Amino acid sequence: MDTKLITEITDWMKTTDLAEFCYENKGDCIEVKTQEALPEPTQFTCSLTPVTSPAIGIYHAAAKGKNLVLKEGQTIEEGAALGWVETVSQKHQITSPVSGTLRVVTAQEGAAVEFGLPLFFIEKK
Amino acid sequence: MAGKLNITPFKKVLIANRGEIALRIIRTLKEMGIASVAVYAEADRSSLHVRMADEAVCIGASPSPLSYLNIDALVTAAKLTGADAVHPGYGFLSENEDFAKAVTKAGMTFIGPTAEAISMLGVKSTARAIALKAGVAVTPGSNGIVGKDYRQVARKIGFPIMIKATLGGGGKGMRACLKEADLDRMMKTAQGEAKANFGDDRVYFEKLVLNPRHIEVQVAADNYGNVVAFAERDCSMQRRHQKLVEESPSPFVDAATRAKLQEAACKVIKAAKYRGVGTVEFLMAPTKEFYFMEVNTRLQVEHPVTEAVCGQDLVKMQIQIAQGEPLTLTQKEAARVRCHAIEHRINAEDSEHNFAPCPGTVEEWIPSGGLGVRVDSHMYSGYTIPSYYDSLIAKLIVTAPDRTRLLARSRRCLAEFVVGGVKTTIPFHQKIVNEPDFVAGNIDTGLIERMMAKEKKERES
Repeated sequence: MDTKLITEITDWMKTTDLAEFCYENKGDCIEVKTQEALPEPTQFTCSLTPVTSPAIGIYHAAAKGKNLVLKEGQTIEEGAALGWVETVSQKHQITSPVSGTLRVVTAQEGAAVEFGLPLFFIEKK
Repeated sequence: MAGKLNITPFKKVLIANRGEIALRIIRTLKEMGIASVAVYAEADRSSLHVRMADEAVCIGASPSPLSYLNIDALVTAAKLTGADAVHPGYGFLSENEDFAKAVTKAGMTFIGPTAEAISMLGVKSTARAIALKAGVAVTPGSNGIVGKDYRQVARKIGFPIMIKATLGGGGKGMRACLKEADLDRMMKTAQGEAKANFGDDRVYFEKLVLNPRHIEVQVAADNYGNVVAFAERDCSMQRRHQKLVEESPSPFVDAATRAKLQEAACKVIKAAKYRGVGTVEFLMAPTKEFYFMEVNTRLQVEHPVTEAVCGQDLVKMQIQIAQGEPLTLTQKEAARVRCHAIEHRINAEDSEHNFAPCPGTVEEWIPSGGLGVRVDSHMYSGYTIPSYYDSLIAKLIVTAPDRTRLLARSRRCLAEFVVGGVKTTIPFHQKIVNEPDFVAGNIDTGLIERMMAKEKKERES
């Protein structure tokens, strides 16, 4: 195998916008594909930090008789209480993993939530 | 029939399990018109049981202690989805009395025996005492936990003996002691294993039956004292106490012995006031004498073998019993042997390398088919087997009118089964169905180890 040829082609390809280059010697066949011709991979990125439910259960913002208002746009400190998920025999506290701004609140008082369900999205400071 | 019928039909059942058994239960629920709820750990999000159930909820992170063994999460899931009963499947919490209690306490029905029955039969020494009282033979042994006088107890039983953990299972905390000189050392090993695996180092002794067969009897008992026993399953093909092949009826058991086995199984079940489906396990000596070993208080992996032989849906029976329905099956109907059946447990394991687990992506999945074939599996092409759980990927159940035709069909099925991307135990099953001793029905619990030793010797020479 002509490794020199391979190195030359690779170096040359770097100077072009080609994504694929096929070459056959006998029968003279060249096939090229540009970057645009390739299907673009779908990628979602989220700059917000999700806070997910630590258990399957019922979400409560605060203990009975107490009130905790969580509004989109409010500032949250790391470790701040974000409510509880109550199971048949336990209570799992939810705290903010980061300091920042509360951007999305999906948690609803008294709603059933499953493990891993995003309850909040926080924009990190 | 004693007592008034108290029947509460279920509307929705939560399956506290995963994999093929979750699918198996969902299928019967669908046929019965009962809604199903699947639960899953994060690693099982793309599992078939999640797709096939009417509802599915995520109960926890992938390691089973955080999900499939998490009583709190399972009971919460059942409450939140409005299930009126919980089916535990096998493994995980199926024989856990605390789980049965928690489900009942939350106002739902546990599809299985009562917590008391699980607790009584779960401790092997208590189970033995129940069998003895019912007049069923048990292997001579210590009849309870051994104390400081263990040397005298062992001498009285006579060597060889088996040291077993009180809370043991799956071959853990179990040690054979062939002669008195090894006793101290084997005691220490067994107790250490028992402590590490079950958090309890209590052990008991049993006489070791040489070259035994593992014969078990499927039973069903309702709330009204009716008990039926089915044709036995021969589960002697084991590797390190893990069953690989189960067949029914046993090629070793004749009609008279079969009737005796069924009678003994019914006696134990009645004495324990057991309700639900269950399995009574016996150890059978080459003389056809048999001894009670234990009761499995759940549906077993190998239940389809019995389903094939008797033509009944055992999961349906289990649900009907839990709903309070009386058994409609007579002992004569239950004991009927319609065909010969075998189950091959196909695991994602490399049988060439000491059965090491091989999790990975199943790139190609072409299960066997045709007459007399049933494949219970949760696999599909592109499915990734998580490394967190056991390695069972399919149960191949083959039936035929007699054993000769059965083995021919098994060979055909194993040859056409294609699993791409992961190593499986299929090649080992092919060796089993071609092994002269197996073909002749000369099976005992040591046969697989002998096959492997022979193979190793051949490789080395």
